[in-house]
Amino acid sequence: MVKMKSFLILLILIAAGMGAFFILSQNEEKRVKKQLSLLAKAISKEAGETVFKMDQKMKTIGSLIDDPCDLQIPAYSLSGSFPRDEIVGYAARGRLHASELRLTFHDLRVSFPGQDEADAHLTARLTGRWKTGETVHEAHEIRCHLRKVEKKWLLSRVEVVEVLKR
Amino acid sequence: MNIKRSIRQFFLPSLTPAFLFRVGFITLLAYLIFGHLLIPLRIQGYSMEPTYQNGAINFCWRLRYLFSPPKRGDVVVIRFAGQHVTLLKRVVALENEEVEFREGRLLVNGTPLEEPYVRSPYRWNLPPRKVEPQTVYVVGDNRSGSIENHFFGQVSLKRILGSPLW
Repeated sequence: MVKMKSFLILLILIAAGMGAFFILSQNEEKRVKKQLSLLAKAISKEAGETVFKMDQKMKTIGSLIDDPCDLQIPAYSLSGSFPRDEIVGYAARGRLHASELRLTFHDLRVSFPGQDEADAHLTARLTGRWKTGETVHEAHEIRCHLRKVEKKWLLSRVEVVEVLKR
Repeated sequence: MNIKRSIRQFFLPSLTPAFLFRVGFITLLAYLIFGHLLIPLRIQGYSMEPTYQNGAINFCWRLRYLFSPPKRGDVVVIRFAGQHVTLLKRVVALENEEVEFREGRLLVNGTPLEEPYVRSPYRWNLPPRKVEPQTVYVVGDNRSGSIENHFFGQVSLKRILGSPLW
């Protein structure tokens, strides 16, 4: 009888542990997705954006990336480890060339390879218009690595998957 | 009277178990066919002109390469990003072959390739390179304009989803 009781308690504890792990990891996944969604919103640009709004968005971008952050984006000739301020500068300059931009993330999958580490695999779609009048219509598969620093998930690596290698 | 009833029955059928079963079966069949076997695709862009026109509708036949790998000259559907962004390209070289562009002519293992599907190619130049194992070399049929403005290169066989139905 005692054995049965202990066995039941053990089963309940295991179930509770698994439940807690599942709920906690779900929350972490939501946090990672929220950070990426904030990044997409901060990179996007509405027509007629004010300087104040732009400044706010640049601060948001800065708050979402690690210092330094590794970038592997051959299409924009970015490869290597860059300080946070430099990346914010690149983003600001890139946005200046656009009259409007919209960045969205799709097919987002998040995994946690270790303690305070997350990997995100997603499709990024960039649409809009350059100031020259040309339209922007790009889609890329992206792999990101995030690090949890002081309870915040920060992007420490962004890599555009090279599908066609010349 | 009977015709009227038949028409009414056709447009407003009674929700009998047999009818619900038929609807369920057709929905499942449509999901399996158009979600996994014959995936609808709309061509956006001009990279495969004149063979495939911008805006054309086609289907990706997923079982095309189930038992045999793609051959030279095949047009293939490539998973570019996520589950929904695909590319349509032509296989021009297979693994371990050497591929090169010289003054707009495509050379495979040093021999010029006959390409009746290419109209007025630009004078592309690309030094020889070997196609890695488990990959094929793909290029679009539209070779007009500078080489920098085109997406082509070697792609992993794992990314090939199938071929266009027509």
